[in-house]
Amino acid sequence: MNSRRNFLSGSVATMLGAALVTKAGAASLPEAPLQSSAATMPPLMPPNGRPYNPVVTLNGWTLPWRMKDNVKEFHLVAEPVVREVAPGMTANLWGYNGQSPGPTIEVVEGDRVRIFVTNKLPEHTSIHWHGQELPNGMDGVTGLTQPGIAPGKTFVYEFIARRPGTFMYHPHADEMVQMAMGMMGSWVTHPKNPAQHRVDRDFVFLLNAYDIEPGARVPKVSTMLDFNLWTFNSRVFPGIDPLVVRQGDRVRIRAGNLTMTNHPIHVHGHSFEVTGTDGGWVPATARWPEVTTDIAVGQMRAIEFVADAPGDWALHCHKSHHTMNAMGHNVPTMIGVDHSGVAQKINALVPDYMVMGDKGGSMGGMQMPLPENTLPMMSGDGPFGDIEMGGMFTVLKVRTGQARNDYKDPGWYKHPPGTLAREWTGPMPAADAAKAPPADVNTLDVKRGSMPGMHH
Amino acid sequence: MKYPIACAMATLLLGGCASFSPDGGFDTVTSATRDRLGKDTRIVRTDADVAALAGTLAPLLATPLSVDSAVQIALLNNRGLQATYQRLGVAEADLVQAGRLQNPRFGFKRSHEGSDVLVDRSLTINLVNLLTAPLATRIESRRFEQTRLQVADAALTVAADTRHAYYGALGAAQQRTYARQVSDAAEAGAELGTRMAKAGNWSTLDMAREQSFHADAITRLAMADKDVLASREKLVRLLGLDSASAFTLPDRLPDLPVAAIALKQVDQIALRERLDIQAAKLQLQATAASLNLTRSTRFVNALEIGGVRNSASGNPPETGYELSLEIPLFDWGTARVAKAEATYMQGVHQLADTAIAARSQARESYGNYRVSYDLARHYRDQVMPLRKRISDETMLRYNGMLMSVFELLADAREQSGAAHGYIGALKDFWIADSDLQAALGGRLPSAPDGEKK
Repeated sequence: MNSRRNFLSGSVATMLGAALVTKAGAASLPEAPLQSSAATMPPLMPPNGRPYNPVVTLNGWTLPWRMKDNVKEFHLVAEPVVREVAPGMTANLWGYNGQSPGPTIEVVEGDRVRIFVTNKLPEHTSIHWHGQELPNGMDGVTGLTQPGIAPGKTFVYEFIARRPGTFMYHPHADEMVQMAMGMMGSWVTHPKNPAQHRVDRDFVFLLNAYDIEPGARVPKVSTMLDFNLWTFNSRVFPGIDPLVVRQGDRVRIRAGNLTMTNHPIHVHGHSFEVTGTDGGWVPATARWPEVTTDIAVGQMRAIEFVADAPGDWALHCHKSHHTMNAMGHNVPTMIGVDHSGVAQKINALVPDYMVMGDKGGSMGGMQMPLPENTLPMMSGDGPFGDIEMGGMFTVLKVRTGQARNDYKDPGWYKHPPGTLAREWTGPMPAADAAKAPPADVNTLDVKRGSMPGMHH
Repeated sequence: MKYPIACAMATLLLGGCASFSPDGGFDTVTSATRDRLGKDTRIVRTDADVAALAGTLAPLLATPLSVDSAVQIALLNNRGLQATYQRLGVAEADLVQAGRLQNPRFGFKRSHEGSDVLVDRSLTINLVNLLTAPLATRIESRRFEQTRLQVADAALTVAADTRHAYYGALGAAQQRTYARQVSDAAEAGAELGTRMAKAGNWSTLDMAREQSFHADAITRLAMADKDVLASREKLVRLLGLDSASAFTLPDRLPDLPVAAIALKQVDQIALRERLDIQAAKLQLQATAASLNLTRSTRFVNALEIGGVRNSASGNPPETGYELSLEIPLFDWGTARVAKAEATYMQGVHQLADTAIAARSQARESYGNYRVSYDLARHYRDQVMPLRKRISDETMLRYNGMLMSVFELLADAREQSGAAHGYIGALKDFWIADSDLQAALGGRLPSAPDGEKK
């Protein structure tokens, strides 16, 4: 895990935008830092402006700014990027400043924010600041509140970040294509008082999805629901970093959903409360305990809990296909199908053929060659073998000895004696369990309309 | 009058080659097959010839037939060709006959005149025959030469037909292999589909669909079987064999040659090399010669001259000449001349027609050869590698559970279909190669080396 990589070394600023903007405007533009790594970067401690407790963007980074006349100035460059979805697979996406999703923007309640947006895409774009209360003309809806930012042009947005909370940014121009291509980023407005809503570890990521044909690199932008890569911040397990916390830490996880379906996010080993929604912070009296929270399309949720249970806890979307990587959605079920004789026949024609799926979907650690630039349907090795997961799955690692601001992966949890499920090796009951009666084929052979008790 | 007759007879005896040649005119055929095909052929006449033939064929039939051995067997064992070879004997007999004088006619008449017994003896010789024999010999000699060319050409035709049939039979057998693979893939799919339905994983519709692939594949396999039978029997007939099991074929067609032969002015090669054109030329010359003959003999063809010796008993024999002359009073011979001229012009046009057809056929065959080569190479270098690539990629997608075993099987069916197409294209190339050889009158200027690979 490269999450400890020095932030500055990973974000060596490249004056990307400078080449595009006019000479007259260049002098007044802040630099547009570039991120080339898909690893989780450590929190960016605010060098100036109002103090706040920074977030950690899962497999992402926070965009540095400059203060000018008491205004926080950011520079986003919309451009094609190559994103590593997991080791072994890259995607040609559209993003911001070298990555998709783009960098997280962190500001403090009441900050005046000026964001320069340079368009290096082949078509016009815009940015909508999802959830912000701002002047209508800063809302970034092409045609409605502004013209599109033409390729090569730079627009500037300016408003005051009024309400603290969790937000997102994404285009409101050709958004079907641009969001399918990965144009999005997180936005966190911290409260003016750093002590308010204070947590020990504050994670943020977006739920997004892509349909990239195995062997291809560009997402299919016309796919509506049948995606094959369900991602946290455009990463799939085992490419997603774990959420590393110290035992007893108060943990916040902020997630925004920019896919086209809902995601019930489930945390093992702990119960949590939903403390924030799109509308703001939930009053303490209105919070209820959960172990799963459904994040609907276009929504954001902040959940909080005290990580009191040490261990390696699964954290995932509860839609089981969403914890898979690229898989065939039209593959027939083979369970229970006798292959004797047929397998040899098929082998005579297709020598590399192996029977799969007749006993279920588990591939039992089979290492078979796959098409280029794709990932196994489920993979990721754990201390006890194949985790058989992909997609929107990661691990919450709660450790006793983890240092306060240390996000380094501590390795696999070592279970104290007597706390691990184990094989029963004692005596078994003498009698076999009663066998199910054989299915009566005649009960299935009913003529249409002749079913007893059916009324027309 | 005695002297000119003796002179004519002497000329005839000196100039007439009125005897049978030791090879019966067969050397033209053997040199044609040897030069143009690199193969031997023989006339089978005697029991000893039959025994020798069996001895020659046995080793050729012991191993899978190559196209060369197939051609060799056909040249020796094709009975139709042997029948054609006998035309040489007929033509030579005509030639020898033409050079021989008609036997003199001896007449004997004994009559009574009262008590006298009169005896007439006459000896007549067909004088015109004597006069025209050299001419007739030349005509028959040309016809014999023409027959030799025609018979040699027939041997080349049988060789071309055999090559054609050989590649047809080989290609059909190989194509059946792929039809069987398609059927096997479909069978495995149908069986698995049935089990899928039985296990409750599939509907009757899905199952029926897989079974229908299999049913179609069985149909195509049966058609492939028919092709194999028909093409093999065609080859059997050309090889003159008693049974289709008398020979075996190799498993596969020869590879495509490294390069196609580049020829310029194929029509000129055809005109120069083709025996049927040479034979047609000779036929025209023969027609022309016989037209001259008709012109010179139209008034004298019935002229007969003979020595007469009459004797009556008790009297000294009466000797003298007898001459009869047809008087061109009713038939001036013009009809015969017109017929001969028409026949000549018929020959002229026929030769022109043969030449035009041969040139066109040569161009077409060469064009077909080049296109067939390119198509077979396209199959080999593009279609088949792409099919292989698709199969490999399909397999990878099966590995990743992105595709099902039914897609693997469907791909196996399609790959076999493409292989079937490739074999068809390769077969068509070798047939086009055979046709080009035939159209150019035998062996190609530089033989493709692919056959040896």
